[in-house]
Amino acid sequence: MGGVHDLGGQEGYGPIQNRGDAQAFHAEWETRAFGMAQASAGDSDWSIDWFRHCRELIAPADYLTRSYFDQWMLTLAAQLIDSGYITLAELKSGVPAFMPKPGYPPATAEEARAFVKSVRSYAAEIGSSPLFAPGEIVRGKVSGSSGHTRLPGYVRGRKGTVVACHGGHLLPDASARGEQKAEHLYTVRFAASELWPEAVDRVDHVFVDLWQSYLEGV
Amino acid sequence: MTSFNSQKLSQIHHDLHEHLPSEPALRAKALESLLIEKRLVNPEAMDAWIEMYREEIGPKRGARVVARAWSDPAFKKRLLANATAAIGELGFAGHATGHLEAIENTRETHNLVVCSLCSCYPFSILGMSPAWFKSNEYRARAVRDPRGVLKEFGVELDDTTEVRVWDSTSERRYLVLPQRPEDVEGWEEDSLARLVTRNSMIGTERDLSPSRRNR
Repeated sequence: MGGVHDLGGQEGYGPIQNRGDAQAFHAEWETRAFGMAQASAGDSDWSIDWFRHCRELIAPADYLTRSYFDQWMLTLAAQLIDSGYITLAELKSGVPAFMPKPGYPPATAEEARAFVKSVRSYAAEIGSSPLFAPGEIVRGKVSGSSGHTRLPGYVRGRKGTVVACHGGHLLPDASARGEQKAEHLYTVRFAASELWPEAVDRVDHVFVDLWQSYLEGV
Repeated sequence: MTSFNSQKLSQIHHDLHEHLPSEPALRAKALESLLIEKRLVNPEAMDAWIEMYREEIGPKRGARVVARAWSDPAFKKRLLANATAAIGELGFAGHATGHLEAIENTRETHNLVVCSLCSCYPFSILGMSPAWFKSNEYRARAVRDPRGVLKEFGVELDDTTEVRVWDSTSERRYLVLPQRPEDVEGWEEDSLARLVTRNSMIGTERDLSPSRRNR
């Protein structure tokens, strides 16, 4: 989706602030927001891509001004309201009106500890062979897809070189719609000079992981 | 059931903005107590997550991996071939590192990692991401003006050194393997690990030589 979250290459952003800051959390509420988002119950069809999409749908002015953990918290609340597990009225009043039956239950402390050690794969078997091979020139599709997508605006219409094919990986666009679909995933190398008018003389490159339907042959 | 309806979600966000306090601490408190009362979250699990990311899981893990790669050529080879398996040898594989790739700095190249679309980060190896990594400024500028960003972090590169920016758009995550400093001949792995900073494994620091720090 071409939203405010698609920040890569946007102009007008100033110096990076707090470069020496190494703290994980800066306020008690941030730790609570983090813990809640990680440990919460959820719907059985929840996916990380749906979570990312729901974060992207925060109103643009809020997206740019509310901090990371605040956005996590808003996203969690929005998802729980969407699934019918809580209501806005309950959040406002603080009074629970009913007990929900979530698709998957809240994690226990043991499950939380096991989760951080579990290695999750997003690779998926795929029947077809890859359309593009390493060394091939490809172009990012100009229009992309509506809804959630991981095709950044700055590579749309730009030519790059396939440097690796990683086999089938779950397509985020589909996961964010509640569907399971795999496509070949590639790492594509774009010359800075192809992407940015001011970078004509630079030797630099940007590497982006892109699914097959994001690309077209040249 | 989940609606998977973008319009509906936008409306919910709008309502949350309208009706909840703008102070995040107040919203966090309201949400947490409601979720606990409705048994949608287990406070002990929340505490476990917070404790793990405060105490246990942090950039010292990544530093250990880098120091091992500097000391053990066979490990380095395995790390560059399959980083998820290699960090697994040290017990560090897990949260957001199921598809980890290590990218090596050389004399001719410098690597920099960003997630321009959200804030993807290899949590199990580097811990919680620093605030600047999640900032709009870094996400916007790292892909377009990496040299300007690096300069702000004190890294100056000549025009012939290639900057490679890695935008984490898939579930693949990146760990920069910094160059081993030249003035650490004979150093033990533990001492080497103490030289390795979080920023050097994201790419916003380059020279880790001890003499540079004493300067």
